Amino acid sequence: MLRTLFLIGIVAVGPLFAADTPASVDFAWPNLTDFFKQLAGKIPAPVKVFRLKFDRDGKVDLWIQDPARRDHIDSWEYDHGEIKGPVPVKFDHYPSVQALDHHVIELTTIDFPRLPGMLASAREKLKMPDARVFLVELERGDSHGMLTFSDIPIWTLHLDSPRHDGRVEFDLGGKVLNVDKD
Amino acid sequence: MSTRTSCYGLALAIASGAALADTPTAPAHPLQDPAALKAAFATRIGHPVFVLRFGLGEHYADALTQNAAASDEFDRFQAIPGQPMAEGEPQKAGGIDCRQKIAFADLDLAAGARALAQAREIAAGNGYKPPENIELGADVFCKEFGWRAILLAESDQMLQIVWKPDGSAAKAQQLRDDHWAKVDMKALQAGSAKPAAPATKPELPQVAGDGRRHNFLDGIEAELARLAAQVGTPLAFKHIGIGATQLSVDVFPPATRKRVATWLFDDTGGMRLWREDETIALDCNKPFGAADIPLKHLPELIAAAPGLIQSMPEAAVKSVQITRGVFCNAPHIQIQVEDDRGYGDIEYDGKGKLVKAEVR
Repeated sequence: MLRTLFLIGIVAVGPLFAADTPASVDFAWPNLTDFFKQLAGKIPAPVKVFRLKFDRDGKVDLWIQDPARRDHIDSWEYDHGEIKGPVPVKFDHYPSVQALDHHVIELTTIDFPRLPGMLASAREKLKMPDARVFLVELERGDSHGMLTFSDIPIWTLHLDSPRHDGRVEFDLGGKVLNVDKD
Repeated sequence: MSTRTSCYGLALAIASGAALADTPTAPAHPLQDPAALKAAFATRIGHPVFVLRFGLGEHYADALTQNAAASDEFDRFQAIPGQPMAEGEPQKAGGIDCRQKIAFADLDLAAGARALAQAREIAAGNGYKPPENIELGADVFCKEFGWRAILLAESDQMLQIVWKPDGSAAKAQQLRDDHWAKVDMKALQAGSAKPAAPATKPELPQVAGDGRRHNFLDGIEAELARLAAQVGTPLAFKHIGIGATQLSVDVFPPATRKRVATWLFDDTGGMRLWREDETIALDCNKPFGAADIPLKHLPELIAAAPGLIQSMPEAAVKSVQITRGVFCNAPHIQIQVEDDRGYGDIEYDGKGKLVKAEVR
């Protein structure tokens, strides 16, 4: 049942990230449908995300909580169809299980199809219409368990152009939280 | 080849020829013709700018500019003598830390060329290597905008001469013992301000090891005994750092607490004095001796440490430090352990009693 729910969650990602989707001119969006399908065969639902990163080359680094050992975080990497993991994540300071339980974000609550809209919004807010995305990150803004004023999951889109670097933060619903331009 | 293709090729050739005709060429001898160099930059830039930095030499020149009409547009232009000048390269606004500048119209490249010639005369007269170029810009503190030449001596001593942007009011300073000291320009021009001969550093003691592989986590008694014999007095420790393949021992030299010597042992048992420095006044400079720490039991304490944190069953020892700590208490032994996912800290007091064992 849990696995079924997980698959239902990733099917929702399909329209944007399916393998047969033409390559976006905006960003090398990774094929998350394929990644999550492969992942579903290796770990049980619900998948709890500590951190998610897409880089400019379309590689994904997903840190998730081990459901069998909630004090453990593992990294799963996805590179154009190939999945690699789990690789233990080493912390300078071991977070407590309570901090990890609070920090993680359930995968099914992440609305991936909002991302292209966020990218358009980021370019507009930064006044950088030709900027390229070089990194997309998702993580709760609680500084690894320490409560902060931004204790919510935050998407951060990093963009650059020949003259400027920019960063825009969004909440899971796509609302702009912060705009920063160098 | 079809007629259409030929016409297209001809049009392309004419277009690129026209583009080349508009491209300025840097003068073959920029130091001898600074006006031509400035004119080439002006044509290449093509709009009013400020100059934040200008590098000038006979083999190369470059300018960092700010668009006068758009203050966050920065570009770098380069000139190679006799070559067509390429378009400017956009620079990241966030990477420009210092925005001291002059208007391009005020850029006096003849002053820069004169200053470079003067710097080379000073170098020749005082035993420095001739500088290859000179640079207009602000100093590292984003102050004092001017032409700046750096002269290096064989001994790595450094002399800096700075002129105002119009080439006047030269002043010089030399880097001595990590601080800048003023040097009289008249003395430099007279060739009587040669750099001091470098102080010869004494050879630091070094003793070869026995060639056996040492693991210092298995004990350091023998090494400390060798060090005591080398120093000639009982050891007055400030800090002992132990790793599997390296042992570092900070000791106060006999009869002083104002200096500290660091001795290193490698995994072949080789021992050398690495450095000797003045102590820092606010540090704990109260020595401890071999009798203040459980040297004999150290191997057992270290070996037991990884098993003291139950949630890290695969942990291994990463390092061991013996020190009085920042509060200058009795010496204690801190052992850092690690596994694939993090670190743990174990602490024993000077008698070998466990004080703490916890995940970090």
